[in-house]
Amino acid sequence: MMAYDPCAHCEEMMQPYMDRVITDAERAEAETHLNECTYCRKRYKFEETLRQFVRQAVHEPMTVELKTKLAGLRTPLQ
Amino acid sequence: MSETTREPDARQLATEARDRVRFEEDALALSDQVYRVARHLVGSREEAEDLMQETYARAFRSWQSFTPGTNLRAWLLRILTNLNIDRGRKQQRTPDTQPLEEGDYFLYNKLEASGDGVSDEERVVERLSQHDVVAALSEVPHDFRDVVVLVDIGDFTYADAAQILDIPIGTVMSRLHRGRRILKQTMAESAVGGEA
Repeated sequence: MMAYDPCAHCEEMMQPYMDRVITDAERAEAETHLNECTYCRKRYKFEETLRQFVRQAVHEPMTVELKTKLAGLRTPLQ
Repeated sequence: MSETTREPDARQLATEARDRVRFEEDALALSDQVYRVARHLVGSREEAEDLMQETYARAFRSWQSFTPGTNLRAWLLRILTNLNIDRGRKQQRTPDTQPLEEGDYFLYNKLEASGDGVSDEERVVERLSQHDVVAALSEVPHDFRDVVVLVDIGDFTYADAAQILDIPIGTVMSRLHRGRRILKQTMAESAVGGEA
């Protein structure tokens, strides 16, 4: 049997942790590990920064022309 | 229609017109947020713009099938993703020779290893360019990308994404996890290149 690797476990918990879909107990367990492990803490912090970075990087606002076209699709008032 | 249905009177017509105007205004107010998602469900700006117009045209035609009080943004995106599939988006198969997937820490490890000793987790991200990110996202296979775009860019919950795409919530979770890993792997390749 493989030895329990807390960092590998923490890596698996990253997505549910970030998406806030874990139980309070799991969250507490992850946070205990993160408090004492710089390796994992850095990687969690990076993931947070990365998600923000991706959101900003892909942002491409709608053109005014398209906005006008969409408004033009409204039902004319009688 | 039952035979007892009366002709709608003027007041009913006025109420309906008012509800329709309100619906159209609400839908238009969400257009920036809908576009934000639409733009990355398809490959080009032109396609996204066509899709937006088709979506709004259909939404305005069938506004009465929207249940007031429910999530209008999700309702609009449900129309949009269905239209996108109707437009003949090719069913994309994940290549058989999918490289072994890396873990969730992979991108950071790669960026840190490629750096000049700077391992500050907030600076490391600066090694990625905006172009790397946009290109990497467009390379994620459709099925995975849809979920990543809805949840990570559109801020939809797993449940909303499941409803929009008409797939089980468990599938949303697994595709999201896999899609994010593929995205990070692709970003790592473009930022750092092939070297180990």
